[in-house]
Amino acid sequence: MRRNLVTTNLLYLTLGIVSVVMLIPLFVMFATSLKSMGEIFSRGSFINFFIPKVIHLENYSEAFKSGDWSRYFFNTLFITAITVACSLVINSLAGYAFARLTFRGRDLLFFAGLVGLMIPPQASIVPTFLILKNFPLAGGNDILGRGGLGFINTYFGLLAPYLAGSFGVFLFRQFFLNFPKSLDDAAKIDGLTRFGTFIHIYVPLSSTVFASLLCLKATQTWNEYVWPLIITTDPKMMTLQLALVLFKSDLDTQWNYVMSASTVITLPLIILFIFAQKTFVAGIATSGIKG
Amino acid sequence: MIAPYYVFMLIFLLLPILINIYLSFHHYDMSSIRFAGLGNYKKMLTDSILKTSIVNTFFFSVGTLSMTLVLGLLAALAFNKVRRGGRFFRTAFFMPYVVSMATASMIWLWLYDPGYGFFNGVLDLIGLPRSKWTFDVDIALICVMLVTVWKFVGYNMVILTSGLLAIPEQLYEAARIEGASSIKQLFSITLPMLRPTTFLLIVTGFINNFNVFEQVNILTGGGPMNSTTTIMHQVYVRAFVEYNMGYASAVTVLLIVIVAGFTGLNFGVGSRGQDLDLS
Repeated sequence: MRRNLVTTNLLYLTLGIVSVVMLIPLFVMFATSLKSMGEIFSRGSFINFFIPKVIHLENYSEAFKSGDWSRYFFNTLFITAITVACSLVINSLAGYAFARLTFRGRDLLFFAGLVGLMIPPQASIVPTFLILKNFPLAGGNDILGRGGLGFINTYFGLLAPYLAGSFGVFLFRQFFLNFPKSLDDAAKIDGLTRFGTFIHIYVPLSSTVFASLLCLKATQTWNEYVWPLIITTDPKMMTLQLALVLFKSDLDTQWNYVMSASTVITLPLIILFIFAQKTFVAGIATSGIKG
Repeated sequence: MIAPYYVFMLIFLLLPILINIYLSFHHYDMSSIRFAGLGNYKKMLTDSILKTSIVNTFFFSVGTLSMTLVLGLLAALAFNKVRRGGRFFRTAFFMPYVVSMATASMIWLWLYDPGYGFFNGVLDLIGLPRSKWTFDVDIALICVMLVTVWKFVGYNMVILTSGLLAIPEQLYEAARIEGASSIKQLFSITLPMLRPTTFLLIVTGFINNFNVFEQVNILTGGGPMNSTTTIMHQVYVRAFVEYNMGYASAVTVLLIVIVAGFTGLNFGVGSRGQDLDLS
């Protein structure tokens, strides 16, 4: 019994230390965001990595004077909202079809979707870029997709590749499969169409999956860096992540501004995560138990 | 009902793959296109930077994947034993996952700063010589790996925890009655029962790690002396810096072939002796 107590305490101690180590980068981020450049570029004692000598709250307003940050916030928020809303609709519809409808070629189509999960979006940036740039009749293009900019520097270009996504389809299909078939039969007797069954019965009972996918998709879109980097050239269309990396310079990066911007950009997600931790974890865990 | 999904799948998944293959046989600089035959593929054979990037990508993927898996498993096993405070530990572990890779890279770039960064502060504190971190050819790639491990270890932990919870308690009870030690239980029950979960993490983790780009681009830009350049980074540089779309497409085809090959291999080896339930 005594030995057990010792091991338990050791376990707690180790876990405590490791957890704090995991949080160090975020502590340093916050502490740096409050320092002056003078303090950042001077050797203080070790504790000053976590506690600034003098607190400079004005970093938070100064950092955002470097560019049109309200515009970047709007862009990111707008893209995230549209992507999340559309993908919830598109994915839940497809997930329902795969779980409950029988039609020719269903399994083949489903496995085609599975392949989509295997090829990450980064691997097709070149052709996707060319498709959006040379889209017929868009952005000054002629019918053959030549001449103009296509969807470069547009909201559609920024969000289109992320609207569908196979992950959500699997998540919804998995969830809908657990519904009893008798539910469908009852709905049919009451005269509901397939679509009516989906809207009136499946959707209201699925708020947990919708919430899970909302959290995951919102985080993913908010955090996206590669695609905006490629599809935008106009500073007006920049997202928060792009603007943040622009702070980087070879000689004198303004680390205090970088960190105050980082804090503000990350804070919404941290708050969302703390309040919806269970929802996040449920979404990820479902994807883990079954492919 | 699946039409909207497939319209997007077709335009942004299937069509890109076809265009990729088509372009890989052409020279295309965004204005003029001409047939290249196997030219791009022949060029890949003699491209020494590409070779470096392939070696780097393998090193990065295997290293990152094994570190996140082992640490994630240890964390999941430990959290499973903890009754109180589990929520705090779990939150701390999972928090980095919601931080974007761009932000994480910027934070770590500052931690790695050779002049006034946190890591050299730690080395000073314990009296070891300072390091140049991301500017040191020998360890720059490891620096990139550590950021990735930090961000994804919590994700692996969550999935492994759900795998642990799915193991029936009776198995452990039976083992205890038989007098099996906890080490024995770990190797005879826990690890074998976690196989499907681990398998899934290896497949998806390999795919994601093999496409590593953001961290590289922000932390090192592929340097110093190409010691951190990866296949995806080469695709980006060839396509969007040099506007050599044909060659970039050929490299992408290579990337997809490697990833598909490994995924196939994983399924061949990993699903032997068990039903991998994909439905």
